[in-house]
Amino acid sequence: MSTHRRVWYPYASPFDPCPPIKAKTYSTPPNLFLGFQPPNLEQFTPMQALRTGTLWKVFYDPWYSPYEAPREDDHS
Amino acid sequence: MKQLPKEFYAAMEELQAVDFVLVDLTLYLDTHPEDYDAINQFNQFAKERRRLKKVVESMYGPLQQFGNSYSGYPWNWDDGPWPWQI
Repeated sequence: MSTHRRVWYPYASPFDPCPPIKAKTYSTPPNLFLGFQPPNLEQFTPMQALRTGTLWKVFYDPWYSPYEAPREDDHS
Repeated sequence: MKQLPKEFYAAMEELQAVDFVLVDLTLYLDTHPEDYDAINQFNQFAKERRRLKKVVESMYGPLQQFGNSYSGYPWNWDDGPWPWQI
């Protein structure tokens, strides 16, 4: 489930009206790292699958923003 | 306007869950035609969906048209509540 969070550093011009944001992060979805899906992956129950939006646990990515604490209440 | 029984909502949610599983499995099987277990699972869920459809339709009425669902008497597929109203 670990969303691999990557960071990039936007250019901050001296004429920026607001204080610059030095580092911006984005989360990369798990399917980037999986390639062709292997068979017999571990699955959610149907009800959970309806909530998480995917049938296979490995693809579940709630895509939390960096400012949002990852709520682990509902799923793995 | 007829109100839906309480157990309709649980059955409908279960039907939606099974439908979702079937959609995901269909997409998976499009790229994995030889996956025997997945096909078994697909057929089990297809069978399960038929059972669930009867349960839901007994309370709600026809879900689909053009012969995909039996009709009540009188012709009632256009009766409320509509899917976005349940």
